[in-house]
Amino acid sequence: MALDVAKYRKLFLEEAAEQLGEFSRALLELEKDTGATESIDVIFRMAHSIKSMAASLGYDSVSEFAHSLEDRMEVIRSAGRIASGEELNLLFRGLERLESMIEVVRETGEPPPPEPELLSELSDARAFDPSTQIVEAKKKLQS
Amino acid sequence: MARVLIADDASFMRQMIREIIEPEGHSVVGEATNGIEAVEQYEELQPDLVTMDIVMPKRSGIDAVKGILAKHPDACIVMCSALGQETLVMEALQAGARDFIVKPFKPDNVVATIQKILEKES
Repeated sequence: MALDVAKYRKLFLEEAAEQLGEFSRALLELEKDTGATESIDVIFRMAHSIKSMAASLGYDSVSEFAHSLEDRMEVIRSAGRIASGEELNLLFRGLERLESMIEVVRETGEPPPPEPELLSELSDARAFDPSTQIVEAKKKLQS
Repeated sequence: MARVLIADDASFMRQMIREIIEPEGHSVVGEATNGIEAVEQYEELQPDLVTMDIVMPKRSGIDAVKGILAKHPDACIVMCSALGQETLVMEALQAGARDFIVKPFKPDNVVATIQKILEKES
């Protein structure tokens, strides 16, 4: 089966726009209530869905970036809440970046490379793990 | 040839599965966009096979598998998984799902997996 890339790109752009809207609304809810589990689930699912659609079209950088957001949300889901304002800010920056990557796909038909630094920040799950922060704070005090 | 129910919250993915399996002679009898709809449509349509996404709103794909199999232990369900969902796939298989296909879909793999399950059933 030969994939009709133009048709699926259009579908991807339509569906991703809706999902980014849901992502944004859920993030604003999380800003009000950092333990809003339904909003955490929504962001997880939106990142997961964009990851799979982008991978299907060979938009590897978009898929990789959405995957790192999904992984971050998995950590947050396990914790049951956003760990800090810093983590919330990271998610806002992640959303903004994902929106801009998809905008590039809309304009050029090709995805840009992700920001390695933001990707690295998203992948650094330990940074926002409260237990890790406590252990590291203790180490600093002892040294 | 099988009557297939597709359960996935993304229309992109539902359409892709449809376009892979229909040329093989299978007919898509229903599309569900969440786990609750998947269970309801299974009851209503009694399909030969279900392709079930794992991550869906309202009720997850795994919960939907359990819900369908509780009433229909012989139901043929194929999980649609993505990278990093190995544990969830194992849970679904332990719950009674027959097999799984991985996103991004490879058409030959999707067709072969469905064919293998249907042959075992016949």
